[in-house]
Amino acid sequence: MPRSLFDKVWDAHVVEELPGGNALVFMDLVVAHEITTPPGAITIEKEFGDRLYAPQRIVAMIDHVAPAKDSATALQGQTVRNWAKRQGIPFHDIGDNGICHVIVPERGYIGPGMTACCGDSHTCTLGAFGAFALGIGTTAQAGAMLAGCLILQRPKVMRVEVTGTLQAGATAKDLALTVIATIGFRGGTGYVLEYTGSAIRALTMEQRMTLCNMAIEAGATTGMIAADATTAAYLAAIPNAPAYPVGLAADPDAPYAATVTIDGSAVRPVVSWGTNPGECSPIDGVVPLDAPPESLAYMDLQPGQRLTSIAVDQAFIGSCTNARISDLRAAAEIFRGRKVTVPTIVTPGSQTVRRQAEREGLHDIFQDAGALWTHSSCGPCLGMSMGVLAPGMRCVSSSNRNFPGRMGDGGRVHLAAPVVVAASAILGRIASPTELPALELVLA
Amino acid sequence: MKIEGSVLPVRRANVDTDQIIPARYLTRIDSGGMGEHLFEGMPDGPQLLAQHPGASIVVAGENFGCGSSREHAAWALLGRGFKAVVAPSFARIFEENAYTNALVPVVVAPAIAEALLSARHVTIDVAAQTLRADDGEPIAFTLDPLRKQFVLGGGFLQFLNAKIPAIRAWEAAR
Repeated sequence: MPRSLFDKVWDAHVVEELPGGNALVFMDLVVAHEITTPPGAITIEKEFGDRLYAPQRIVAMIDHVAPAKDSATALQGQTVRNWAKRQGIPFHDIGDNGICHVIVPERGYIGPGMTACCGDSHTCTLGAFGAFALGIGTTAQAGAMLAGCLILQRPKVMRVEVTGTLQAGATAKDLALTVIATIGFRGGTGYVLEYTGSAIRALTMEQRMTLCNMAIEAGATTGMIAADATTAAYLAAIPNAPAYPVGLAADPDAPYAATVTIDGSAVRPVVSWGTNPGECSPIDGVVPLDAPPESLAYMDLQPGQRLTSIAVDQAFIGSCTNARISDLRAAAEIFRGRKVTVPTIVTPGSQTVRRQAEREGLHDIFQDAGALWTHSSCGPCLGMSMGVLAPGMRCVSSSNRNFPGRMGDGGRVHLAAPVVVAASAILGRIASPTELPALELVLA
Repeated sequence: MKIEGSVLPVRRANVDTDQIIPARYLTRIDSGGMGEHLFEGMPDGPQLLAQHPGASIVVAGENFGCGSSREHAAWALLGRGFKAVVAPSFARIFEENAYTNALVPVVVAPAIAEALLSARHVTIDVAAQTLRADDGEPIAFTLDPLRKQFVLGGGFLQFLNAKIPAIRAWEAAR
């Protein structure tokens, strides 16, 4: 019987079928960080003699708040640091830190056909490699560290075929938001999204990570993309990357519980106007006339209002969605020779990304433009540190969530691609890069 | 196991875990201290809680608990005295976390959830999988049969711990 990509990876990791459609699913990798891991690690220490199934299948790091912002976050960091040390778990401390969904791929911890989990919903990012990778809670993560397995209901599989090719100006972020707007903010619940089609094949690995990163924003268990020559080339450049299983893809006639087709050639630059990522529209359009009133009340917007008329108080380029080197390069091309007019924060996804950006001189471009260039952290994406919003403040952001209060109590978030965030930072309102005056005119 | 109490009516869909417990409170190494900050991220959340003192059952709209994986959302609800959440649908990770912590996730049809928003007193019989509002007829609901065990008797990690020999054998034969 022909199988989907998900079926192949799942079937290869089921240790035992359990009652009620559940299965005991083996995890090749458990990713741990300072925010969600400590309570589970402490439970294992107290109740199971600090015994882990396989410390060598765990990687830990300082991720969300680096360095600690106060004594409480310092204790979180110290707890995971000491735990990793005594267990012999690879650990990426501050200086070598980064967002786990950026570090795990760049350091060769993930490869095609693997399973992975983390107490972090954006673990779906790793599906870009043809892995089955998902976010879970602290106790489920503790179970995976204790026994090597998760208990999971087998998800259904939705085939998301993106035909054609992305046109100039449309980015992987625009595709990710378009997928969510198409299937709905909860349309992926109970499903794994298997992305396929010519537009997907043409994406780079970093673009695929951006796309898979936002599968959770449609409610999906995860997103997955078949491993191909692009995957192999990316992994070949990483020392110690897992071996690449040849031909890991869906069978031609694999059955799917649902199929959605999106014309990749028609994807346009979008920006969110509401309070979930599915509430977005093309940037040259207006707030929809039928937009939910509660969303608009929170965002202080009117139906029919032009999106490019919305003034912003802050711009943020960062997060596990859009803070890899290609994102920073694209933003730098917009910033080069121009000045920001609102407070702007650029936060690389890892210290490795930061160092690469500095080797290329991108940090000078950002700082010449007047932006703040920071070290790696989750930063203001989830309202924890380094750029949290005040009530009523409006931020255009390359991150992944525009929920009420996400970036700070009462703060308003507009999600967009890094190039749109950069253009908006320069014009002080939501703006497309195509609106910027030609550079010669700016310099004259 | 029976849960009885009054309802906190959350007349919103897509209540994400940032609304349930904002990230600024995710700075502890244990599961305590979350209850006092419950729903601080939800527009008018603290006022809603103040209007319904002693409520022990949340009734909400579709897709409750979406977004971040933070188990702190379940801990915050339990820490504030809530024992069950009734909604037309839950996000996957929140539902798993709820089961693991014996916060009962009850899925009902949208019309029933809507009606329950104005119920005064609700009784949930977890073992029998029925829910009764005020003087109404019992309404049957479905629970995951395996995870129901963890709600009734705990033991999620002990269950996995007991599987370790089988898991090691599977891995050796892989």
